[in-house]
Amino acid sequence: MSRLILRALTVALDGREVVHGVSAEVSSGEWLAVIGPNGAGKSTMLRAAAGLLRHGGTVEIDGVPVSGLSPRARARRVAYAPQVPAMPPGMTVVDYVLLGRTPYLGYLAREGRRDREVAASVLDRLDLGAVTGRQLGALSGGEQQRVVLARALAQQADVLLLDEPTTALDIGHQQQVLELLDRLRLDDGLTVISSLHDLTVAGQYADALLLLVDGRAVATGRPTDVLTEATVSTHYGAAVQVSTGEDGRPLVHLVRRS
Amino acid sequence: MVHRSVGGIAAVLLLLASCGETTPPLSGGAQPSVSASFPVTIDGVTIPGRPERIVSLSPTATEMLFAIGAGDQVEAVDDQSNYPADAPRTDLSGFEPNVEAIASYEPDLVVYSTEPGDLGAALAGLGIPALVQPAATTLDDVYEQIDQLGVATGDASQAKDLAERMRAEIDSITGSIQPPSEPVTYYHELDDTYYSVTSSTFIGQLYSLVGLRNIADEAKGAGGGYPQLSAEYIVEANPDLIFLADTKCCGQSRQTVAKRPGWDRIAAVENGGVIPLDDDVASRWGPRIVEYLRQIAEAVADVLEAQAA
Amino acid sequence: MTRRARAISLGVAVLIVSVIAGLLVGPVHIAPGAALRWLVSLGHPPAGMSEQQAAILGNLRLPRVIVAALVGASLSASGAAYQAVFRNPLADPYLLGAAAGAGLGATIAVAFGPSDAFAVTVPVAAFIGAIAGVGLAYGLGRSSPGGRSATSLILGGIAVASFLTAVQTFVLQSRTEALQRVYSWILGQLGAASWSDLGLVLPYVLISTGTLLLHGRLLDVLAVGDDEAASLGIRAQRVRLTVLVAASLATASAVAVSGLIGFVGIVVPHIVRRLTAGSYRVVLPLSLLGGAAFLVLADVVARTAIAPAELPIGVVTAFVGAPFFAALLWISRRAIA
Repeated sequence: MSRLILRALTVALDGREVVHGVSAEVSSGEWLAVIGPNGAGKSTMLRAAAGLLRHGGTVEIDGVPVSGLSPRARARRVAYAPQVPAMPPGMTVVDYVLLGRTPYLGYLAREGRRDREVAASVLDRLDLGAVTGRQLGALSGGEQQRVVLARALAQQADVLLLDEPTTALDIGHQQQVLELLDRLRLDDGLTVISSLHDLTVAGQYADALLLLVDGRAVATGRPTDVLTEATVSTHYGAAVQVSTGEDGRPLVHLVRRS
Repeated sequence: MVHRSVGGIAAVLLLLASCGETTPPLSGGAQPSVSASFPVTIDGVTIPGRPERIVSLSPTATEMLFAIGAGDQVEAVDDQSNYPADAPRTDLSGFEPNVEAIASYEPDLVVYSTEPGDLGAALAGLGIPALVQPAATTLDDVYEQIDQLGVATGDASQAKDLAERMRAEIDSITGSIQPPSEPVTYYHELDDTYYSVTSSTFIGQLYSLVGLRNIADEAKGAGGGYPQLSAEYIVEANPDLIFLADTKCCGQSRQTVAKRPGWDRIAAVENGGVIPLDDDVASRWGPRIVEYLRQIAEAVADVLEAQAA
Repeated sequence: MTRRARAISLGVAVLIVSVIAGLLVGPVHIAPGAALRWLVSLGHPPAGMSEQQAAILGNLRLPRVIVAALVGASLSASGAAYQAVFRNPLADPYLLGAAAGAGLGATIAVAFGPSDAFAVTVPVAAFIGAIAGVGLAYGLGRSSPGGRSATSLILGGIAVASFLTAVQTFVLQSRTEALQRVYSWILGQLGAASWSDLGLVLPYVLISTGTLLLHGRLLDVLAVGDDEAASLGIRAQRVRLTVLVAASLATASAVAVSGLIGFVGIVVPHIVRRLTAGSYRVVLPLSLLGGAAFLVLADVVARTAIAPAELPIGVVTAFVGAPFFAALLWISRRAIA
């Protein structure tokens, strides 16, 4: 159970400011989706929040600044999965998931029984029991995405930072992963921040949205508040229509111009 | 009176007439010298007059030149020409010759042994006569090169004398050896990683002249005459003599050889048959091969004596 | 027995067989039965074996086989480590200027050092040269804007290697009498291996290969990239530095004793990776064992192919390595097509 607070997060890459003073508060168990047009700085923001980039402003978890933690301590509190994770093709699923236990092992130590148990249970929950011995290169896209999630969960961190966890997945696998994530965060009380490019999906699953445009947070709040026709058409430059679904969540539709 | 002055004038005229030719100084013998006539053409290279500013880029050629009495015609020799000691050594390199540096000595003849690229063409382009005398492959090559240098320098008769003397001495050396029923075996070492020579090489042929058998001959064809032998083979072949041609380059000696693991049981090591050579003498094909041969023959004689005892 | 334990046992078995082959086969024919009895009786010549043959076995063949195994193990483990650190299957232990540095060191020792001390000066100079070469490459890469990333290290290595090789060429052409000796060193040779060489190099080999073996898990973590490794709590740069130091030490030790033997550091880890799962906890020990066996067998070929003459060992490994890459190309073309 952890509350994540970003205060005036600023990131400069190659001398150019890419993220300008972004602030956000994500309560324990909440799911914040970061949306925005291409190049808005979503990935950069997540990497900074994960402690992988130098940044101005602060990132706090339960009041503790993340930058003050050693990499290992930080890794036990925050798990991060990039947009395009490196999947060494020859590595087995089990070994890959066991990488998630790294923060709990000494420098030259090997995994113990506890670590293997954690990995096994995580694989089980994500329905990957059948492929534990398979090599990563032999997995389907959906299986790979789930394996990445499994590794993040094996870290047993309270905060999950996921960069586009459903890229390149077909709609069925997309739903599978999102439903899984939803269930897991409710079961374990995980705090999730993920960037999502699909606005409707973001609106369906997240508790709160943060619209990032050119490195600035131009809108934050509940999905219905952020996903309005005006907001979307202005910032995305697209012609859209926003309707409301049965559960009150917004559905964003592309409208053909011609 | 008139007779004498006519004789005097005739002598002067003869002298003037012979300015275009060179007559080698008569050596302390009676034989009328073969007067070398210039210009002379050797191997397509024309030497217009008696060379007085010779540049030698080959240590062997340097030795030959000085041995045939052409030493005072030599202007400069390369950095490796260390014999005789009074040869005018310079920084010129025989391996990587700098044509401009060579030309700066204003040579009227250049002698070299390795053609690194287009030295010959470059020198020809500058109008400098150049002779290539590559490493000898047989004894006859050696005599030929000596004769050639004699003709080229106008010291032909001395060259001929040198060749005759060498032949005679070599004959007497080889004649003095009684070939035993079991040939004496040897191993000739080029460096401390056991590179050797086969009897098809020039050096190898010298050894064969005194009836020695080369243990590296089993490796004929490998390494083009310069195979690298394996230590265990050398130990097993148990040569009677070991000739070290790596005393200068690689610091080998009787002591270092005796210390090599497993080598102390070799016959040559046990019986004092490890002969250190001068690297230079063993790698050149000039007049000093006679001394070399003598040294080898002595070693063989010692072995035979010890065996008989 | 786990898969990993099984694989490693197999590797050990292969190595043992190779070592025995190395002892039994050579330009001098020694009856295999007698040789085995010699081995078992720890060096007492059995009946039917001459003193000379026992001397050959004990003083020449045995140390040579052991040195070959150690050198092969060092180069191969080092190659596997470099491939892990740079995430590039074409990395070899000479990548960061180790070969150029060692070559320059050996050249300087031969050209300027006392010729009667070559047996000591050349290995020491080569060792120092190799370490210096890697150090220079690391320093150069680090000081660049790219920092300690893999690419800047590789570029640093290329720059350093080119420069040091140029210096070596310059020295050689001004001291041409050193050419022959340096050339034969560059081709690689185990022919002069002795027990004292072994003693010289053993501690470094043990420390460096031991360190590498212990870093298997960490190398697996590095395989997912610096960012992800950092998110898992690993300081990638620190791990890289430690592994590179250990690998370079292993390479320097190998090169000091045997000259520049190529292909072992690329071919063996590559083959091992193809045959096993990708974890470095298996690839590293198997590369070590496989490299040892490979070089012992290559040395057997070097000693016997044109006996009693010897082939430079670098030539034998190249004869294996070149077709290996051709085969690799052919296989991957098929996969693409």
